[in-house]
Amino acid sequence: MLKIEDLHVEVDGKPILKGINLEVEAGQVHAIMGPNGSGKSTLAYVLAGRDGYEVTKGRVLYKGQDLLEMAPEIRAAGGLFLGFQYPVAIPGVSNIYFLKAALNAIRKHRGEDPLDAIDFMKLSKEKAALVQLPDELTKRSVNDGFSGGEKKRNEIFQMAILEPSLAVLDETDSGLDIDALKVVAEGVNSLRGPERAMLVITHYQRLLDYIVPDVVHVLIDGQIVRTGDKDLAKQLEKEGYAEVRDAQPL
Amino acid sequence: MTKLSPQTLLGSLPTSFETGPEWLRALRGRAAATLREQGLPTKRTEAWRFTPVRSVANAEFSPEQGSAPSLTSPVPEGVTARSLRQVLEAEPTLLEGRLDLGGPPTHFAALNTALFSDGLWIDVPAGVAIETPIELVHAIPTSSERGVAYPRVLITVADGAELTLIETYAGEDAGQLTNSVLEVDLGRNAKMSHARVHENAGLQVGRVDVRQDADSNYRSTVVTLGGALLRFDVRCLLQGKGAECQLDGAYLIDGEDLVDHHTLVEHQASHCRSRQSYRGIVSGNGTAVFDGIVVVHRDAQKTEAHQENRNLLLSETATVHTKPHLEIDADDVVCSHGVTVGSLDEDQLFYLRARGIPEDLAHSMLTYAFLESIVEGVSHEPTRARLREALLTRIPHGDRVRGFT
Repeated sequence: MLKIEDLHVEVDGKPILKGINLEVEAGQVHAIMGPNGSGKSTLAYVLAGRDGYEVTKGRVLYKGQDLLEMAPEIRAAGGLFLGFQYPVAIPGVSNIYFLKAALNAIRKHRGEDPLDAIDFMKLSKEKAALVQLPDELTKRSVNDGFSGGEKKRNEIFQMAILEPSLAVLDETDSGLDIDALKVVAEGVNSLRGPERAMLVITHYQRLLDYIVPDVVHVLIDGQIVRTGDKDLAKQLEKEGYAEVRDAQPL
Repeated sequence: MTKLSPQTLLGSLPTSFETGPEWLRALRGRAAATLREQGLPTKRTEAWRFTPVRSVANAEFSPEQGSAPSLTSPVPEGVTARSLRQVLEAEPTLLEGRLDLGGPPTHFAALNTALFSDGLWIDVPAGVAIETPIELVHAIPTSSERGVAYPRVLITVADGAELTLIETYAGEDAGQLTNSVLEVDLGRNAKMSHARVHENAGLQVGRVDVRQDADSNYRSTVVTLGGALLRFDVRCLLQGKGAECQLDGAYLIDGEDLVDHHTLVEHQASHCRSRQSYRGIVSGNGTAVFDGIVVVHRDAQKTEAHQENRNLLLSETATVHTKPHLEIDADDVVCSHGVTVGSLDEDQLFYLRARGIPEDLAHSMLTYAFLESIVEGVSHEPTRARLREALLTRIPHGDRVRGFT
């Protein structure tokens, strides 16, 4: 599904990612854990195609194709989804119509017919219930006046509608209380499947109690220093990043 | 009426005014004298330095044939809407002191004062609250000759009364000049919601003067969708304690068009609030001018005044001149002003694209949303819908956004 080879990325001339290697198979959930400033969000943005991140070395293959060559919307149309750490508010663009535009742009790219208003509303109602997003919020402007938790639920709501092949979830747990975290995690878990891969980026182990990963990577200072199973996350929680940082890269 | 030959605007001023009540003849005479002395604005006139009107001043126009605005909605019960000409003939004392713009007018407002031949007076008596809007259309017809119209409207909303007014300035002919003046008097606790749409292809100079008594509320939304040259001045005098005004504007400028908004809000009494939000999109070789002044008089303590002008530039050759300013003589006030001139928000664009929305459609969606937030403030739903539709037909790829609004 996703193959990252020796990826080096700079922002404003400053190296952030310093040789990332990572392979995610369909059906797997990988977690990337790391302290602040380790390059977690940079990795997420590079995968989604945001401007301002210069790839100086390495490549990324997505479904066998060169991901870095594609415009962001082509990546999305190809099934890549980024759950934003800080979803931006877009006053004046209603959530529901934005999503309908997104879904139909993706369907068009795949050569499918657009979903009509009635079918879309049905789909939207069903998926909103999944993350307990109030109907009223689906109709408001995108993320405008949403609380932190509502924004994150809105991200997972969008993911549920767009049904991506690869979901990159950037700190989906940040700013959530435990009840909201459970709702979001349940939403994510319900979307797990043999055809879908997920890359869950988080600072804290807490989220991984609810979204149990197949593989855990530890990202420190732009490099993956450890890779293990879900127990690695627990070990990190107990010992802290300092302990792991002192370990030699594998 | 005999056909008169075309004349320049100043050339059409008569040497003396022979008809109408004495006070009106004096008012017109003073306006004409001011004009003869000062002339029309030039590039050296500070308030007009970005808005060249020399070609207008030099052009010859056929004389006005009477340009009272048309009422396109029924007049609700309890409200009177009368022809200014008729009132001036039958009961001129009713209008004495009400057509003087609160001081000696200059330039185009003086020209209107000197030369308007007819107009409309809408009066809402005390305590009458009208929910259905009154709709006015000022349409200047297409003609082989250059024509000029001087629409004049007086609105009086007495104590505790409410009015919604929708005005549309229309006309396909780029050679025609509309020079309008609208005066509003709001009594204590009176309320007025005013939407004004400029979709005239021609030259437009307009002025709205609002005088507000205590606890009155005036809200205006001005939407400019076209016009080779448009200059629009709105002035709100907050004369009574606790009065509030909100002035919003949206403009879409393309081609060689120039749109110039001037606002003046005077806080003359305490506890008044004013808010201004003007937003525009400028593309092609278009030019936007915004000049907003908030004056807070010494006695106007507890004033709250906010002013904002935001511009989206969609081309390299588009120009924006913007100057919001505050003149504050009171010490216990909350005032702010802000300006932005730029392109679309990169974070918003990326968010939309990361969800699969193509770049050009994302641009259109954000462009539409930028102005829609102003249009949203129009209280009358059918007008709001009409304005949304007008925006969609005018923004790039707007038809693609239509399905998503």
